[in-house]
Amino acid sequence: MNPQFCNSAEHGVSRRRVLGAIGGTTAGLGLGALGGMVQPAVGEELAKSDKQILLLWLDGGMSQLESWDPKPNTRFGGPLRSISTSLPGVHISELMPKTAKLMHHLATVRTMKTEDANHSSGVPKILRGHPKNRGVVYPFWGSAVAKVMGPTKSGLPPYLWVKPGSGGFISKYAGFLGAKYGALALGDGKPPTNLVRPETLSEQNANERRELQQLFNQRYAARRRKGSNEANSYVYDVAEKLMQNQKLFDESLLPDKDRERYGKHDFGRHTLLARNLIEAGVRFVQVTSYGWDTHGDNFNAHASRMPKADQVYAALIEDLIDRGMMDNVLVVMMAEFGRTPRINGSVGRDHWPNAWSLSMTGTGIKKGVVVGETLADGTDVKTEPYDIGAMFHTWYQAVGIDSKKVEFMNGTQPLPIAHDDMAPVKELLA
Amino acid sequence: MRWLARLSLSVVLAAASEAASAEPLHAKIDQLIESQATGVEIAPSADDAEFLRRVSLDLAGRIPTVAEANAFLSDKAEDKRSVLIEKLLTGPDYPRRMQELFHVMLMERRGDNDEWLKFLRVCFEQNKPWHVMARAILNPDADNDELRGAAFFVTQRLVSEGAMAPVDVPGLTRDVGRLLAGVDLQCAQCHNHLTIPHYYQKDFQGLHMIFENVQTRRDVQFPAVSEKVMQAKKEFKSVFEQVALQTGPVVPGRGEVEIPVFEKGEEFAVAADPKTRKPGVPKFSPLNELATGLAAKENDIFTKNIVNRLWFVMMGRGLVEPLDLQHADNAPTHPELLNLLASEFVAHEFDIRWLLGELARTNTYQRSSMLPGEAEPPRESYAVAIEKRVSAEQLYWSVGIATGRFDAVRRSIRKGLVDAKKPEEEIKTIDEATLEELVAKSDELKTALADFKTNFGSGPKEPEVEFEPSVKGALYLMHESKIQKCLESGSATLVEDLLKTETDQAAIDHLFLRLLTRKPTDEERQQLASYLEENKERRSEALANVAWAMLTSTEFVVNH
Repeated sequence: MNPQFCNSAEHGVSRRRVLGAIGGTTAGLGLGALGGMVQPAVGEELAKSDKQILLLWLDGGMSQLESWDPKPNTRFGGPLRSISTSLPGVHISELMPKTAKLMHHLATVRTMKTEDANHSSGVPKILRGHPKNRGVVYPFWGSAVAKVMGPTKSGLPPYLWVKPGSGGFISKYAGFLGAKYGALALGDGKPPTNLVRPETLSEQNANERRELQQLFNQRYAARRRKGSNEANSYVYDVAEKLMQNQKLFDESLLPDKDRERYGKHDFGRHTLLARNLIEAGVRFVQVTSYGWDTHGDNFNAHASRMPKADQVYAALIEDLIDRGMMDNVLVVMMAEFGRTPRINGSVGRDHWPNAWSLSMTGTGIKKGVVVGETLADGTDVKTEPYDIGAMFHTWYQAVGIDSKKVEFMNGTQPLPIAHDDMAPVKELLA
Repeated sequence: MRWLARLSLSVVLAAASEAASAEPLHAKIDQLIESQATGVEIAPSADDAEFLRRVSLDLAGRIPTVAEANAFLSDKAEDKRSVLIEKLLTGPDYPRRMQELFHVMLMERRGDNDEWLKFLRVCFEQNKPWHVMARAILNPDADNDELRGAAFFVTQRLVSEGAMAPVDVPGLTRDVGRLLAGVDLQCAQCHNHLTIPHYYQKDFQGLHMIFENVQTRRDVQFPAVSEKVMQAKKEFKSVFEQVALQTGPVVPGRGEVEIPVFEKGEEFAVAADPKTRKPGVPKFSPLNELATGLAAKENDIFTKNIVNRLWFVMMGRGLVEPLDLQHADNAPTHPELLNLLASEFVAHEFDIRWLLGELARTNTYQRSSMLPGEAEPPRESYAVAIEKRVSAEQLYWSVGIATGRFDAVRRSIRKGLVDAKKPEEEIKTIDEATLEELVAKSDELKTALADFKTNFGSGPKEPEVEFEPSVKGALYLMHESKIQKCLESGSATLVEDLLKTETDQAAIDHLFLRLLTRKPTDEERQQLASYLEENKERRSEALANVAWAMLTSTEFVVNH
């Protein structure tokens, strides 16, 4: 082969170097006291990246008509009005007055068109970026980012999930990547109990215990399937990192002003915690707000829920601007689908993947744009539809990952990190 | 679910022919598994130590004691595994283990109730057939003292969770389908299932109306239900079409039941008693129709659900996964095997103990969990034993036994009685108390059991399927004072016993046998010997550190 030509094999080699790093243990956490587990030298470029992601997830499906894409005075518009925003000519629902003032900092997509109208299959499809079927279970976005980018230099667990209800380590979100890339869920934002080492256990003994444990685990894992030992080892690694960051979880240390601004409801408290987790260096934080599945009484339900989401989103954006974090944090607010234009017999709106909206801002994102337009009565997209796969490309691009080049390795099988037939949406990228 | 009804005849016919065949089920299972495990390297049989630990966790719900391990490992008899299986199935731990297992499976950590636990215990002590248990759950008999607690399955799901969460009858409907028939009809609540062609809205609505007709009884203290008179079909609409539809009660796998008409005033078999507030008993009981129709040998999905779940318990993977998603488009990995298990289970009168014994006797169950080569064979090949989640309860009993914390508590209660000059008889009851009785006498052990459920169980309503360790569990084992106590001499016997050993080697051998049910490798022996030698000035701390590391190691916290 002619060496003068740039041949693809060479690219293959250099690319594989990066892939090797990603396929390896970049996400392995430095263990401090143990010293047995070393951060691999490879792949440091990605590991050094200071880009972070904060996902606000409105579980059940927020209505686009009562938020980003109102259609007042039309057949399916419902009783609520729209208001003007800081972007000339752009209107959003009257339920979002605070966010309306910040629209010039945001990018909004109004032509999301996805495939699944079920919660049980739609949620994972969206959170996986709905890639092509490769016969493997793809990771949720947070797990994918934990794998591709690893923890930041803070060493904190890369994927935290703040949610109402119970917490725990949710390994199944990691899909084929393996248990340790799962989500650490902080139930009701609370840290796990027993975070503080008791005085009766000396630091020396604690360290020796972990080293001995490692010894037993290595021997056991040498001849076993990977999953169990990875998961068991990982929870101890995470426990140690969290011990070093105990103050994050103390709500009493938060200024009253912040608590007022975000709201004392769950979504407000959890997003405020998420802001602090991001500031402390967690790579990917998801906040979940439940209860958006408004099959009945859609308008009252949104009139009660939407202002809270508005308050939370606006407070977060203001903080990111004030603290200079817009340059390294990507923020996305979305759900698994929108809601039907048609109003059902229970004054509700049902599941609607055909034409819905989402919002984003922060690093790599163009500010003050609204992408796409729906029909006058909201029943379908009028301009180019976007699948979640295109958003995944866009978001990876926004945090500096070339989603067309970087791949997962499943054993020896390279797998794209976002749908291979799709591409980033250029209008959304700064 | 008409397709399911059609399948059932073939099962009954198959049952007749299988029962006639002399070859034991466990041998047929191995043939079917191995004939499909082509192109993968099959692991050899687990050694005696690995087998003993696995089968003890599965059938006794705990690791073996040092005495049990010594006895089994030195036994030279060829049939010792089979003998052990029989011993465990008829032993004192089996009913407790099954009670714990079925409690978690059926209630999914929604809460405890003494009557319900008694129901489970009695059933497994008497080895009641599964269809009898299921019927007791679906149509509880308040007059049967032993079994009436089964009503808790329904009543606990009819408890309101506060003003914002009304009583979740759809959730109860869903759980009956999921847990007793292996079909999750949730998505068919508002419309026919979009992606599963055989889950119809009518199936959901017809089952749902049976539970809409049920009330929790307020006139008695134990869990109990009553039914209202059902006179009319239920109207429902698909959210997509808005066309009015109707159905009578529907039994999963069997179809709709006609609602009989009675003259006004003639609806009740037993009239209500306003004085005692005892509700009346209608002549037509949809719960009875459900119980006898669902839990019947003719009902294929009922049988397949339970054999699939028992297979999962022993083998670590369901033949159908998810366990609650049986349908025509979600084929079992081994269809012929699932049919065989179902028909043999029916032929053996729904005998859970018998089926668990047959599963434990298979080579499939007894394989090593160690990979024979570099590759990880697919789980569904069963070429290598699949590691299983250790439940909170299994972990609790195992930690208490391994560290001798139970022994120390027994010792201390005994000392209290002796010091108080209590009669011999009373002291004897402590000496002979089972571990459960011991826990009942100690607040600290009781609290620790609750702690384990919180830290190592899943949250309420979350099925416990895979090994999902948690950070809170890790922190509990790292820092909780009750765990520290297990490693202190005085409050547990492990370190005391180790301090009495004459050499480090003896201490190391004892640790391995007592905690991990095996001998150390040469390398482990060497590494630990040098650690103990380096720290001989603080020997009890060093021994406690080794013990902690073993207790929290992956080898201890999964069933391999």
